[in-house]
Amino acid sequence: MTVHAVSPAAAVAEVGTALVAGVYVIAVLDGAVSARVAGRSRPGTALLVMPARRAARLLLQARTTTERPDAAAWAVATVALGALAAGGLMVVPLSARGAVAEVADGIVLFGAAMALVMVAVFLHGWSPNSVFPMIGGYRFAAQALSYEMPLALVLIAVALPAQSLSVTAIVESQHGLWNVVRQPLGLPLYLIAATGVAFWGPLAIPDSADLGGGTAAESSSSELLAWRVARAAVLVTVSAMGAAAFLGGWWGPLLPGPVWVALKTTALLAIIVVAGHTLARVRLESFVVVAWVAFIPLALVDVFVSGILALR
Amino acid sequence: MTGSWLVEVFFWAFAATAVISAYLVFRVDSMVRAAFWLLASFLAVGAILVLLEARFLGLVLLLMMAGEMTIMAVFMVMFMMNPAGLNPMTMVHQHRTAVVAGVASFLALASVGLFVRFPDRPVPAEGTAQATADLGGELLGDSMLIFETAGVSLLAAMVGAIALASRNGRFGDAYVSSRPPDLDDVTAASPADGPAAEADEAAMDGGGMDHAGMDHG
Repeated sequence: MTVHAVSPAAAVAEVGTALVAGVYVIAVLDGAVSARVAGRSRPGTALLVMPARRAARLLLQARTTTERPDAAAWAVATVALGALAAGGLMVVPLSARGAVAEVADGIVLFGAAMALVMVAVFLHGWSPNSVFPMIGGYRFAAQALSYEMPLALVLIAVALPAQSLSVTAIVESQHGLWNVVRQPLGLPLYLIAATGVAFWGPLAIPDSADLGGGTAAESSSSELLAWRVARAAVLVTVSAMGAAAFLGGWWGPLLPGPVWVALKTTALLAIIVVAGHTLARVRLESFVVVAWVAFIPLALVDVFVSGILALR
Repeated sequence: MTGSWLVEVFFWAFAATAVISAYLVFRVDSMVRAAFWLLASFLAVGAILVLLEARFLGLVLLLMMAGEMTIMAVFMVMFMMNPAGLNPMTMVHQHRTAVVAGVASFLALASVGLFVRFPDRPVPAEGTAQATADLGGELLGDSMLIFETAGVSLLAAMVGAIALASRNGRFGDAYVSSRPPDLDDVTAASPADGPAAEADEAAMDGGGMDHAGMDHG
């Protein structure tokens, strides 16, 4: 893996800043949408400090634990989820200079990181040695196996016109025509899969309220805060990849490239966060059926059509 | 990238991780832990492939193993009737056969490593795309029959495994012959003993969780 023109410290700073800023934006948006949907009006400043207040409240909570948990696996699950978000974001170009890690097989690395999210969430549900988290972990295994194929297929489809697995090359190939127009099936399928990867909103099936919080049911205090931050970080990463793969990344008039990347990423984030407050949570059984019966065939059509267009 | 001392350091770190976590697969007392230690071993092997400039293969290995090890853990738990794989159980059976098979396969693999002359054709750093293309040609060309046969066999095995493990599977309704796990042995042990001590104890008592003792009726 070659790191282009950025020192390791600068690379960590870039990815870290993007993740922290993204997580903060998600927290603010979530609070704003929640207040708006509930019909309450909140002053802007209250919305801006709300994430810090919620974080402080969690940190002041007493730390609870379960009977005979696998403490090591429990901690590893949270750390791994955050690390996978950072690893996935590493290959996404945040400006025209290219990604922090300019990997020739960047989209495969992103896919591998998102596939390992399944392991992190399953472990997070399994290790507390408690019923509800465990059911959440098993739910996520079924959920992940259902969104994994559409996710991989729509990302293969965007690599075809670029004739490269590098995310920077994929963004470059969208100069003039974005993939959201060229491959109309891609972005909707990607957004559904991305919501599933971040188990957010309608697809918060493993951590849902009907399981008392699911894999996070036994989490408290700093551990719960870390888990929520890691989950939001995954949402930032999948949104940034969506902006790069379908919305043309840094391409755009007038504004500089990084601003376009931030705007497009925030737009995708906002869609998922708003969906979390307006759409009902999906039942896992229905999601699995629809994913295998409809999403995978549609994603295959996307790949075949994109392949034919790329070969012409 | 090859030749740098940093690559050497990473190689030995990943190699040690691969061997140690593979060893731990047989030392832990739960199927889920065993599956994820095996995953850790494969992740280290995938990282070594990346160091060898076989980036595509290495990353695809990570991508595949994440799903496969989770599926394996779920399947093992389904077959063992150990609720969620949470109860300690011994992971090693048929010691004599296992030792013979282990030593024999180690000798076989070690002799391959020592006596086979491996081709020395490193992929140039700028030629990795060509290596990926060659791999695709191999999978869909000369080796297609082999891979398709293996793929269809694995699919048949998966369908069979689901048929056996499903609630209305080969042995009828899964609830008919299942019985609650014998938790007394586990809870009787003091938490200070640690998981390893409890695993030994569970193994000595039979623990009620040894799958050889399960009666499907």
